[in-house]
Amino acid sequence: MSILVERPGLQTTVQAGPRTGLRYLGVPASGAADALALALANRLVGNPPFAAGLEVTFDGPTLVFDTPATVALTGADCELTLNACTCPAHEVIRVRTGDRLAIGASRTGVRAYLAIAGGLLVSAVLGSASTYLPAGLGGHRGRALAAGDTLDTVTGPRTPQDCRTPDAYRPMLTHAWALRVCPGADRESATRDALSALTSTNWTVGRRADRMGLELEGPLLGVTTGGRMPSAATFPGTLQCPESGVPFLLGIDAQTTGGYPRLLQVNRSDRHLIGQLRPGDRLRLLLRTPAQAAEELREKHEAWRRWLPDIAAII
Amino acid sequence: MTEYQALQVRTCGDDLLSIAVANVREAQSLAALLRPDSFWLEVVPGLDSVVVQYDAAQSRPEHARARLEGLPRNAVDDGAGKSGTILEIAVCYGGEDGPDLARVCSELGMSPTSLVALHTGTDHRVEMLGFMPGFAYVSGLDPRLCAGRLAAPRQRVPAGAVGINGAYTGLYALPGPGGWPIIGRAAMRLFDGAKDDPFLLRPGQSVRFMAECTSGG
Repeated sequence: MSILVERPGLQTTVQAGPRTGLRYLGVPASGAADALALALANRLVGNPPFAAGLEVTFDGPTLVFDTPATVALTGADCELTLNACTCPAHEVIRVRTGDRLAIGASRTGVRAYLAIAGGLLVSAVLGSASTYLPAGLGGHRGRALAAGDTLDTVTGPRTPQDCRTPDAYRPMLTHAWALRVCPGADRESATRDALSALTSTNWTVGRRADRMGLELEGPLLGVTTGGRMPSAATFPGTLQCPESGVPFLLGIDAQTTGGYPRLLQVNRSDRHLIGQLRPGDRLRLLLRTPAQAAEELREKHEAWRRWLPDIAAII
Repeated sequence: MTEYQALQVRTCGDDLLSIAVANVREAQSLAALLRPDSFWLEVVPGLDSVVVQYDAAQSRPEHARARLEGLPRNAVDDGAGKSGTILEIAVCYGGEDGPDLARVCSELGMSPTSLVALHTGTDHRVEMLGFMPGFAYVSGLDPRLCAGRLAAPRQRVPAGAVGINGAYTGLYALPGPGGWPIIGRAAMRLFDGAKDDPFLLRPGQSVRFMAECTSGG
């Protein structure tokens, strides 16, 4: 029961849930950069939210199935064809032996997720099957897919319950994003003007963007540290700014400690959106208090719970 | 002698709190105290802080803060004196294993033999893991071996690489990007994914470097 990778796409990796509780050993979260999108794909094919699937970046793979399979694609908006016939995202697709499934370039958002009923057969390393590319851990041989790879699927009962994601549960993809944030640990390192610029600027997502983080283009921020800061914990969603004045936002593979001032922290409710920020997209940062953030997280969980009962374990 | 001063806690995100401490050993000691409490999803010590993450879907910010502020300040000790056995790490210095040895030596104005003698001549101690999986910050470096970072970081440094930077030796448990000059490579496996506890080194571990081979000059 396997899938042949005919064309790998730009950076296609096996991703599942995050690695948790190990940041003190330097082990980053890793896992799907947009965990909500992976969970939505898994929901359609009857898998648990964090069953191992494929994360597709900008340009997707072409896969040839040597087995019948049930699959679904979510996340970034990209063309999907089965034997050259266009298929919709957010719908269950029945694949027959010998079929060729091709995922094209993304138009909005960055990362699409392909779930396969049963999940991909990969072993867990440090508590997760997710690929962590910088250290070559997890996933398919610790690396992105290459042409000629074969992926094994988990066989077993396949019981997709629904054929399509209801419209109300399809996340909006855009080129103009808003992320809710709270003040970060080292906010005093920024000048008053810099702090106000952070939440009043319409930022542009820079070209240097990957799973570890992305730069934001806009006004240079005044930051004073009197030399480097002592290394301290960083997380996905931490916004840091070196003295160069160019801020960067950490992603799901973020290193666990860093030495640049941590000015803001993206709220838990919105961290999964970082995985869809595309170079050239616009970004606003909306300041909240931790109490407001807690209320907004509760509201978001409530809104999703009917479709994804485990939403609080997903985002 | 006992000082019941509350911990200095500050909010640094909607599910993150930071506690200020005096130094890396206090940070490790406080982190070890907090980690068994499953209330904390992550407990991450730094060089002068410990950051904890809690489940914001389950607990309000003020409850998380109160949980920390209830801990007495004197629960934190600096961990001094906890050493145990010394782990000997055989290192091949210079050559392909230590591509920056020759340049570091010329910057520091010493021969490779002298550098290796200084690096192997004292006991060192793992102070912190972080940055990358299993990357160990090891103190005890002779001050004469104070080297700066590489002008441009390497995309990939092999597992076992031994780097030096400032007051620390850095040990790479896994391959990854790295900005420290690399003077050698440990033969020993510092990471074994098949084990429940895959990282060989832990904070507090004393280590001694042994020169298995030295090349270049």
